[in-house]
Amino acid sequence: MEQIITYILLALMLIFSVMTVTSGRILRSAVYLLTVLVATAAIYFIMQYQFLAAVQITLYAGGIVVLIIFSILLTHHIEHRMENPVFWKAMISALAALGAVAMIAWVLKDAQSIQNVAGFIPPKMEDIGMALLSYGKQGYVLPFEVISVLLLAAMIGAIAVAKPALLQFKNKNFKQDDQ
Amino acid sequence: MVFNIYDFTGLTEWIHEGLSRSLSPGLTLVVEWALIGAGLLTLVALLGLVLIYLERKVSAVIQQRMGPMRVGPWGMTQTVADVLKLLLKEPLMTRNADKFLFNLAPFIVMTASFLALGALPFALGLHIMDLNIGILYITAITSLGVIGILLGGWASNNKFSLIGAIRSGAQIISYELSVSLAILSIVVLTGSLQISEIINTQQNGWWLFKGHIPALIAFVIFLIAGIAELNRGPFDLPEAESELTAGFHTEYSGFKFAFFFLAEFINMFILAGVGAILFLGGWLPLHFGIDNSFNHVMDFIPPIFWFFGKIFALILLMMWFKWTFPRLRIDQLLKLEWKYLLPLNLLNILLMAFIAMQGWYF
Amino acid sequence: MSWDQLLFMRHEIILIILMLVMIIANLLTKDENKEKLIHLASILFFANLIAGFLPARYGSAFGSMFVANQSGIMMKNILNIATFIVILQSGEWLKKEIENKPRIADFFILILASLIGMFFMISSGHFLMLFIGLELATIPVAALAAFEQGKRKSAEAGVKLILLSTFSAAIMLFGLGMIYGSTGSMYFNEVLTNFNGSALGMLGFVFFFSGLAFKISIVPFHLWTADVYEGAPVNVTSYLSVVSKAAALYILMVVFYTVFINISASWTEILYIVSILTMTLGNLFAIRQKNIKRFMAFSSIAQAGFILLGIIGGAGMGMTVVMYFILIYVFSNLAVFGIATSVYRHSGKEKIRDLDGFYQTNPRLSLIMMLALFSLAGIPPVAGFFGKFFLFTAAASKGYFWLVLIAVLNATIYLYYYLMVVKAMFINQSDEAIDTIQSDFPMRLSLALCAIALIAIGFIGPLYEWINNVATAF
Repeated sequence: MEQIITYILLALMLIFSVMTVTSGRILRSAVYLLTVLVATAAIYFIMQYQFLAAVQITLYAGGIVVLIIFSILLTHHIEHRMENPVFWKAMISALAALGAVAMIAWVLKDAQSIQNVAGFIPPKMEDIGMALLSYGKQGYVLPFEVISVLLLAAMIGAIAVAKPALLQFKNKNFKQDDQ
Repeated sequence: MVFNIYDFTGLTEWIHEGLSRSLSPGLTLVVEWALIGAGLLTLVALLGLVLIYLERKVSAVIQQRMGPMRVGPWGMTQTVADVLKLLLKEPLMTRNADKFLFNLAPFIVMTASFLALGALPFALGLHIMDLNIGILYITAITSLGVIGILLGGWASNNKFSLIGAIRSGAQIISYELSVSLAILSIVVLTGSLQISEIINTQQNGWWLFKGHIPALIAFVIFLIAGIAELNRGPFDLPEAESELTAGFHTEYSGFKFAFFFLAEFINMFILAGVGAILFLGGWLPLHFGIDNSFNHVMDFIPPIFWFFGKIFALILLMMWFKWTFPRLRIDQLLKLEWKYLLPLNLLNILLMAFIAMQGWYF
Repeated sequence: MSWDQLLFMRHEIILIILMLVMIIANLLTKDENKEKLIHLASILFFANLIAGFLPARYGSAFGSMFVANQSGIMMKNILNIATFIVILQSGEWLKKEIENKPRIADFFILILASLIGMFFMISSGHFLMLFIGLELATIPVAALAAFEQGKRKSAEAGVKLILLSTFSAAIMLFGLGMIYGSTGSMYFNEVLTNFNGSALGMLGFVFFFSGLAFKISIVPFHLWTADVYEGAPVNVTSYLSVVSKAAALYILMVVFYTVFINISASWTEILYIVSILTMTLGNLFAIRQKNIKRFMAFSSIAQAGFILLGIIGGAGMGMTVVMYFILIYVFSNLAVFGIATSVYRHSGKEKIRDLDGFYQTNPRLSLIMMLALFSLAGIPPVAGFFGKFFLFTAAASKGYFWLVLIAVLNATIYLYYYLMVVKAMFINQSDEAIDTIQSDFPMRLSLALCAIALIAIGFIGPLYEWINNVATAF
């Protein structure tokens, strides 16, 4: 039963990822992407990695896709369509993608050892919490904290790019040069 | 006797055994899914009827009106009539609307609500999925609903819908933080995300009482932010009638409109349910002290009634808010979240962690 | 783990404190007084620079997720110096452009944040830290590239940088996932022992290398460089071409020498091809450039190709040579960019042709420029010569004579185009030569620093010895 559902989900992911790339309407692409992400979360659920699944949904489906949709809402009109790519460009891209898929598939075919290395123990919530905040071996408090610096910096960067110039300066000699 | 109103474990096991005796495991699963689905659907339909009726009556009481009175005794079948009317309406769509997304949006909203409903424990043993990460799962799934709102607003090709959707998105994303942090401050005490565990830790008292002031603050923040996340008054800017006709669902009619409307009430139910689980002990009865006659009387009331009673108490509280407070402006709304609730919440978590570390809770 | 293990992270912690101080200082100053923040930032950063040279302690913290070693700390000091010079050079620009005024502090905060990222990347003992450090080093710089709001090119540079770095980060992460899949760990030392050269691991390695190659702009992944360098503000370009590149090169070298040393035969081949491509293409495109920023972009691509030559030279010698070269490269490039900044600030010109007759009006600036270009080209009296000489020696010592031959041919090509700039300044006559430029004190200080360093590094023999001692102890 689980296997059947997994295969259905995998097929869904495949179909929708192709549709994400080929759709002419950008918001629909975002929705297809959402499907792919939710299906990934579902696969994590089936694999009993429940925390990962919840994080996948919160971060990707609930966070990033919402942001993407939000920015599309602010910038795109409903009648806007993306240009169709030139045929030979599309063909080359498709070939490159297929080549990459073939290569990765060929590589993964021999790599049976993955399962043995990772083991299959659904992690407990407490262990995840401890791992995130411990500072010994296999403890991730340092990356956790550095990511906070990263997010702070990204936020300041976004503000710096968007912050308007002072009003009193803006009117006089705000030069608009495009060389 | 298999059926026991105090403990549904026997009932569910009986169903499971009965089914697996005659069916293959895979088929058993399918039949069980169907049963659960049917149960949830019934619950949702009933809840819709009751909650809409309740809302109208409560608002009527607060505004010194009678409310619906004509259909049935005290207008009790008014909602049934409304639903029938909605089903018969023509599904309209604006020109140039994105048909696919327009039709998809209500389903996304509804699916998110349904998925979240699955994690609520209605009584001992009456729990569809008791996940390891239950409460995190609920917050994760409910955050999907906003996508439906955004899509619906955009796909309608209507400026009111679009503005409503953007407002709603901004509001939900902002207030989600506060809701999650308020939930987190109780998780600090329980030490687990599993819902059955959270309820079990409250056997000797609800967290609202055991957790001192931080729990109280968390509860208040949870209610405020939760109401805002539901887009309910006084935070109903996304559908502010006076400015945006009806916000993101302006262009929806008939059945799809009913979906949006219903999902809103179901989300209210879920929020109240989460509040009841975290702060009010879920389906546990109210106890004072150890082993006295008051506790025995309370134990006599079945857990399922306790759970629904708490939920409806919270829902009535929310309705009371809606019909008494004036609507906020958008800047006030964002200021409230980012300048007051969020810092307060972070401090509150620190305080809670300190209390938990010192073991100052009961 | 004890508290004093945090002392290994002294450089990073000081920078984080600096960043927070800047944020708070920004909140406390009124809009009219923001210019004072430039002085605050310069002084604080100078203090940080000095503190960086205090005797440090070596060891690993956080379960060897963070490793402080001698060469890493030296690299951090080099980056500190470079960033200090960039900060000195950018004060003028920040003060002058009116729309920058409310965002002066943001500039420094972002520079500091990206430097923090590089430091963590340099000291990482775990691929996750490496990745996060790399991202932290890149994302703020993308915001800096889009710093000039009035300019479309600046915005374009920001968007290009962020999109391509995201893309490369994704590729790199994919590769890291494969490496994790084949070794079961992300710690450098465990990957070293478990890496068995399986197909999966090798593919992961290739992806990892491509991701990093984007940041260093090695040839097949260099296409973003020219546009970003041209569009970004000059000071950001100099930061990007010097500090970012140096940090990424260092970590590439360290990872190659420590983690992937078992497959050194494979990566030597990759580097062999890639370095020839990088040198040649970078050079050929550099000849065609008219804009001085684009010119520097391609010439820095070519320089990166030469540095790869040093990496091929193998752990002992290669490490020393590369760090020595990076030190020289920092000063030469920053001198060129410093002069490009002042020229652009005072006249708005950034074409090479505009430098005609520069010597008549600005003799001192053109002398420094000449010095820096000679150093980049590798002409004997200046430091650059020694750097290049040692690079060739390193590669030749491993027997890659053909590679060295191609490199020498390339060196003659860029001797040509560097000298074209010098010729423009000294020999060409022009009626519209740029007026005499009055730079402010920090800018002059920075240029003087560069000039002194360029002459001194070549002549101080013990420096190479010292770097050699330090670099081999990584």
